[in-house]
Amino acid sequence: MLFLTEILGAEVIDVRQRRIGAVRDLTVHVQEPYPIVTGLIVSRRRELAIPWSEVRTFAAVTREVALRSSREEIESRRAQPDDVWLARDVLDKQVVDTDGRRVVRVNDLQLVDSGGRLLLVGADIGVRGILRRLGVEAFAKRLARLFGRDLPMALVSWEVVDPLNSVPDPQRPASDDAVRLRISGRRIARLHPADIADIVEELGAKERKTVFDTLTEEIAADTLEEMELEDQVSVIEHMDARRASEILDDMPPDEVADILTELPKDVAEQLLGLMTKDEAEDVKELLAYEEDTAGGLMTTEYVAVSENLTAQECIDELRRLEPDAESVYYVFVIDGDEHLKGVLSLRDLIVARPDQPISSIMIRDVIAVHPDDDAQEVAAVLSKYNLLAVPVVDDEFRIQGLVTVDDALDAVLPESVKRKLPRAH
Amino acid sequence: MDRVFVRLRRFRRLFLLLAVVGPGLITSNADNDAGGITTYSQAGAQFGYKMLWLLVAVTISLAVVNEMGSRMGVVTGKGLADLIRERFGVRGTTFAMLLLLFANAFTTVAEFAGIAAGLELFGVPRYVSVPVAAVMIWLLVVRGSYPVVEKVLLSIGLVYVTYIVSGLLVHPPWNEVLRSSVVPQIVPTRDYFLLAIALIGTTVTPWMQFYLQAAVADKGIPNENLAYSRVDVLVGALVTDVIAFFIIVATAATLHGHLSGEQLANMQAGDFARALTPVAGRFATALFAVGLIGASFLAGNVVPLSTAYAVTEAFGWERGVGHRFSEAPAFFGIFTGLIVVGALATLTPGLPLVSMILLSQDANGIILPAILVYMLVLLNDRRIMGRYVNGRFANAIAGVTVAVLIVLTAIIVLSSIPGLPLSE
Repeated sequence: MLFLTEILGAEVIDVRQRRIGAVRDLTVHVQEPYPIVTGLIVSRRRELAIPWSEVRTFAAVTREVALRSSREEIESRRAQPDDVWLARDVLDKQVVDTDGRRVVRVNDLQLVDSGGRLLLVGADIGVRGILRRLGVEAFAKRLARLFGRDLPMALVSWEVVDPLNSVPDPQRPASDDAVRLRISGRRIARLHPADIADIVEELGAKERKTVFDTLTEEIAADTLEEMELEDQVSVIEHMDARRASEILDDMPPDEVADILTELPKDVAEQLLGLMTKDEAEDVKELLAYEEDTAGGLMTTEYVAVSENLTAQECIDELRRLEPDAESVYYVFVIDGDEHLKGVLSLRDLIVARPDQPISSIMIRDVIAVHPDDDAQEVAAVLSKYNLLAVPVVDDEFRIQGLVTVDDALDAVLPESVKRKLPRAH
Repeated sequence: MDRVFVRLRRFRRLFLLLAVVGPGLITSNADNDAGGITTYSQAGAQFGYKMLWLLVAVTISLAVVNEMGSRMGVVTGKGLADLIRERFGVRGTTFAMLLLLFANAFTTVAEFAGIAAGLELFGVPRYVSVPVAAVMIWLLVVRGSYPVVEKVLLSIGLVYVTYIVSGLLVHPPWNEVLRSSVVPQIVPTRDYFLLAIALIGTTVTPWMQFYLQAAVADKGIPNENLAYSRVDVLVGALVTDVIAFFIIVATAATLHGHLSGEQLANMQAGDFARALTPVAGRFATALFAVGLIGASFLAGNVVPLSTAYAVTEAFGWERGVGHRFSEAPAFFGIFTGLIVVGALATLTPGLPLVSMILLSQDANGIILPAILVYMLVLLNDRRIMGRYVNGRFANAIAGVTVAVLIVLTAIIVLSSIPGLPLSE
């Protein structure tokens, strides 16, 4: 196995056996599935670059690189500003192991010689890489064997690695490095939003931004929904306002209201102004309620149908509305003035005869809470009546929104219990 | 739509300041821990006002160094351990982390010694107080309930504001105090130089550089708000050292000149408490003890925890109290190890607590230059800091701090060679 740190420092000899310098870095061209080494950097300061095509022999054992050309021919070559340098840009940096769904650090990089071309095939993320660079790998291996143990190699294939690097550079926008390293669409974007959320919560603020910049709005919104409120706020704060508003548009209004509450007022107003009108209206309504009350917890995404429908018409209406998963638990029946008249479950609808009026199958005694009710009370109601969600109604019993059991649970569970939950693997 | 902005209007008007202010103030508050209180008290008791000028100089250094760390946190969004690893590779990082572990083991010992000394004033023997405190700290952090307690502990730290009152009530000779604050006075003895290292090392501690930058990076403050976070660290540095200033003044006025050389070499926490007598009368001891216990307990949580974060961050190991022990063995191992080391060292029979605390601050002062050099390299690297690289002023102040500490350390080392001046 060949590792980057074993190549670094190797002597570079030109065609007339003259020493040119030592290998300081390798440049790669990013391609699928494995990046290919395109050159050697001999002087980091002068950015002296030797194309890989000039390399005649490469002896890993004697740590010697022999070139086809002479020193004079090479002196004039300079690295390109957008080259990726392995030691400078990838080694020691944090990357996402999309297979293990975690953030790890690159202790070394594994290279493979494939018909004269050198390919980057994997990252060493284990303790072996650290020991190798401390120069004690062989010793540690022997020591481990003494105790009847084996020091396993922890390698991840480059196919599942997503680099996160973002080094601010005066000449370039901050996220550029990550973009240069990106390979045909980020792999991280293909993970489940809950996993993406777990990963970005381990990152610093700026690295988070680079990840979010590469997600589509829809995935960004789903990911954001899985995150803790303070992290949501920090992500939105760092984002360009227009993009932030587009992501917020894709999120449930109650979550958006929570985020906006934590933002400075002018920022919140600006975002509301940029959002689509409907979503912004919903959010504004929610902003009128206190945080830990039914009003503050509720979402305005619920399904309400007119009391004059038949079962079949009601099902057709649902098909047209395409409600979100979390709001379809119950179908609320209202009159022309939005007064809550009854509630139906999907089961009730499906087992009813198509021409049966829904007013004859709905449950009339609806359990509901008031917007000013405390979060604890709402949770108690949900628990007592075994509900998945409870409607929120005003003094005249007009429906205002819906509190789902998971939102209520979030509000009443102590912080310490929530953080103790194991991560799913 | 009258109600639309009810929640928005409830906004903390000072939102920006509140969001940004915090890390600096909190860190500085934790700075007046067992090590700080003891070192400042010893300075006042032993050398009167003669070390005030050094404290004033260190305040400038503290403000500059904290500003550097917090700027680095804001601009890069990364912790110090993170940046050290990315810039210096595995070898440089291993060295830095060994130094940090070493310094923080000493600091943890000091915190436990502080808890023990404080509780001894209430008649609790250290063989009871230390194990109980160790278990409490471990549980608090592992259960994740530390943030709740943090606020309580931080407010206990306010007890030390009474030093300001005490310092005013003793009516110190203000002329001399002011003159000593600006005119450097050096007492050429080994004790003086050792205490000088401790005084610098306890004010600008290595662990704080890691803790502060990580806290700032975590907050994700945009570059535009750099000014606010500057205010935070500057105010923090000032508050810490105003208290430190009055600790020295109060102890100098009440203790200096009243003690024999032998007494000075074997100070007890109870002796230091007498500096609060002008303000608290017979409650001085209790007041001093409560403050000492609170501050030590706070730092006793923060130091092991921030060490575990720094080391695991540098090596890319799983971390965070949200994990189980088996998922993040290194994180919990380091954290637990430091607590065990701190507690066991404190329980060693016959070890005087005050000397132990002073010694640990010396260790911090000796290690600090290395950490500052790492920081200076990072802060002058344009690839890392962009246009926010260090200016000449910050480089000069930090550079002088490094140089002074190295010279002081050299003096101490040389003075232990028999036959040379200063050696005893």
